[in-house]
Amino acid sequence: MNKRLKPSAMAEPSDCLCHIEPGELSPLPPPYEDFNQATIPPLKPEKVKNIETSLDDTVAIGIPKPASKEEEEELVRQFLSGLKKLFEKENNWTFLQPLMLSMEHCAKCQTCSNACPVYEMSGRKEIYRPIFRAEVLRRIYKKYLKPGGKITAKLTGDIDLNWTTIARLAELSYRCTLCRRCAMVCPIGVDNGLINHEIRKLFSQEMGIAPKELHEKGTVQHLRVGSSTGMNTLAAKDSIEFIQEEMEEITGYKVEIPWDVEGADILLLHNAGEMLAWPENVGAFAIIFQAAGLSWTLSSEAVGYDAVNYGLWYDDVQFSRVAVRHADIARRLKVKKIVIGECGHAHKALTVIADRLLTGDLNVPRESALVTLEDIVLSGKLQFDPRRNDFPVTLHDPCNVVRAMGIVEPQRRILRKIALRFREMTPHGVENYCCGGGSGFAIMSGYNFVHWRNLVSSRKKFLQILNAFQGEPREVPKYVCAPCSNCKGAIRDIISYYHAEERSRLYYGGLVELIVNAMAGMKKPIIRFGDEPSWRS
Amino acid sequence: MGFYALSYLCVAVFVIATGWLVYRQMTLPVHVRWEIYPVQHETTAKVAYGGSYMEDLNWWEKKRESSLLNELKYMAPEILFLRGLWKENRSLWRVSFPFHFGLYLMIATFGLLVLHALLVLWGEDGLPAGGAARSLLDGLIVLAGWTGLILGNIGSLGVLYRRLADPELRRYSSFVDYFNILFIFLFFLSAFITCLLSDPFLQGAKAYTFGLLTGGHSLNSYVPGQSVSGGLAIVLASLLVAYIPLTHMSHMYMKYFFYHNVKWDDAPNRQGGSIEAAILKNLELKPTWKAKHVEADGRKSWRDIASSAPKEMK
Repeated sequence: MNKRLKPSAMAEPSDCLCHIEPGELSPLPPPYEDFNQATIPPLKPEKVKNIETSLDDTVAIGIPKPASKEEEEELVRQFLSGLKKLFEKENNWTFLQPLMLSMEHCAKCQTCSNACPVYEMSGRKEIYRPIFRAEVLRRIYKKYLKPGGKITAKLTGDIDLNWTTIARLAELSYRCTLCRRCAMVCPIGVDNGLINHEIRKLFSQEMGIAPKELHEKGTVQHLRVGSSTGMNTLAAKDSIEFIQEEMEEITGYKVEIPWDVEGADILLLHNAGEMLAWPENVGAFAIIFQAAGLSWTLSSEAVGYDAVNYGLWYDDVQFSRVAVRHADIARRLKVKKIVIGECGHAHKALTVIADRLLTGDLNVPRESALVTLEDIVLSGKLQFDPRRNDFPVTLHDPCNVVRAMGIVEPQRRILRKIALRFREMTPHGVENYCCGGGSGFAIMSGYNFVHWRNLVSSRKKFLQILNAFQGEPREVPKYVCAPCSNCKGAIRDIISYYHAEERSRLYYGGLVELIVNAMAGMKKPIIRFGDEPSWRS
Repeated sequence: MGFYALSYLCVAVFVIATGWLVYRQMTLPVHVRWEIYPVQHETTAKVAYGGSYMEDLNWWEKKRESSLLNELKYMAPEILFLRGLWKENRSLWRVSFPFHFGLYLMIATFGLLVLHALLVLWGEDGLPAGGAARSLLDGLIVLAGWTGLILGNIGSLGVLYRRLADPELRRYSSFVDYFNILFIFLFFLSAFITCLLSDPFLQGAKAYTFGLLTGGHSLNSYVPGQSVSGGLAIVLASLLVAYIPLTHMSHMYMKYFFYHNVKWDDAPNRQGGSIEAAILKNLELKPTWKAKHVEADGRKSWRDIASSAPKEMK
């Protein structure tokens, strides 16, 4: 079923605007053909009876259905009020110019569609086109907020505005990973990813509608407890203590992780999820920094031990609050610079976006850890034995580090030095494909969203990974290097979902693990392929 | 004189509307950075793969290098030949390129016609009849005019056909989208017919342009308004000039802001710099977002809100 929907269909009644039938998803090669007939498991009726589900096969937010016609009308009014605010400098100085340009100049040439992995992998479902949701918003804006819009809508493109339109649009804004490949290829420069970002903001900032993983369990928890993982300072310190012990046990290297060192050169900000899900990443950073003799510290202050900033994906206000806290902690620690660990969105949030938010002494210099690591690895401060990484390695480019920041080569120069069998994905660098977990998807798993992510939004990345290792024997372990926590989470889930460890011996991890694995002084490897160590002494 | 009045009016609309568009862009508040790489004013080494100054250790301690030449090397083929469309959407480029290049050549032809008129006004010294310079200018006018008309007719028909025949484009096209293309096609067609039937060397166009600069004084030659197609070409060209800035077709020149103010705006905020001054101003703005967690009341500024923690969940 591949109905060719028009944007106006968003307002029309139907139980499900877009459904993926068996065989419609873009095909996977052997030995994954059994997934070609897969579909997203149906939502459980008892779980969704009170929420809006009429967009497609999944639910990201779970918006409650209005109880009455009056409530519906009130929500429509709120939506229009929020939409108006997107075009006011008092409310949206942060993105006003990019938004206005993109809203007013699209030529509807569809060049963006072919660049979008979600659209392509879904079997080219109309609602997932980058232009689809942008055009819905554009039509509503022109018709309901521009003078004479209700008359000109007949000429410029019509759409009805009702609760269904709004609820579907809110959900649809969480079917785009904000990877911005569409913006990169647009001949004019129109950014449908940005329009999607602004839709999310409208819902969050005006109507209080956002996925709970991003808002309640995300930024709100981050600001209240100290971390979006729910870890408070004590728990973070416990985790780090555990990591220190683990590192010594795993690698034989004794590491001391410093806390709150005033006047240190570097404040290292980790995604706190690393401490829980990938402690070896945090440990590997510590080993490298200690071995290189850097002056560095972690912060134990709430928010300061978690680099994430989920506000980047849905809410400028929450974004600003988290960014200011990060900068203020660095300012009070009197560090020379903040180094951001392997977390892509934290890179973009604090380095690029917050750059036009932080003023005076809050504007502490920020640097990507990939750059710091390159200096350490290439400077000769440490000795490496690249034969220890004698297995095929490919590199995933996190969109936020590469396309949004232009940090492309440092990680490659490191890999060329320490990983003998490094090969690129196609395409790579600034033309990379998203892991499918971008914009919060990696941490969103309510209802059946995780199936949609693995089957649709992560599918292109899975294909790219398989292609990068084409020709390698099945039994050879293969390492996907993903220097970003969210990307790692998405790739972990891909490997598990498609049984790729069993079928292709795919493993994944960060960049620092590869660096430590090749360090000449290590007694034992930090990387293991299941029970098998990656090298033997 | 009616034609001239219309042309003056339309040019005035163009100037005012474009001026407003540009003014509006230039007075918008400084926004957060939203660049996308490759940023083409980076150094040659970095621009080759899309790298940035943020790849350098302690980049804030270094003098920022940027290359206007690299920017121009990218922009020239992008503007003239629609390089991006060639790379990303070749089949559309086949009709879009002649369409756009035809329009560019019409603008170039008009520029040459104005130059011709100015030289005539300057007197015999400026443009001696039979001289090489005059022959060259006449030749260029004919070449640019005819090439532009041929490409424009082919391109606008091609673009119209694609929009009608390709379901992907048709599904998102409104009446106005077809009207715009048809409008431009009718201009190209009427101008082409005029040149073909009565003005092959664009003498009438020269005379009309001369008249535009002199308040209606005409050179002693055919003036396009004397034929139906010529009159139609003047009317359509004039209206088109007025119409473009009122539509999304203003992307022809508003693209500048897309690239320089968004896609390539990678300028870092330095303490005490002009960007910081603009941010300080922005932080005093008072938002009115209604969600409870924002805690905006119309009195608190962005600075107040950003330095507070939310009390409410929703």
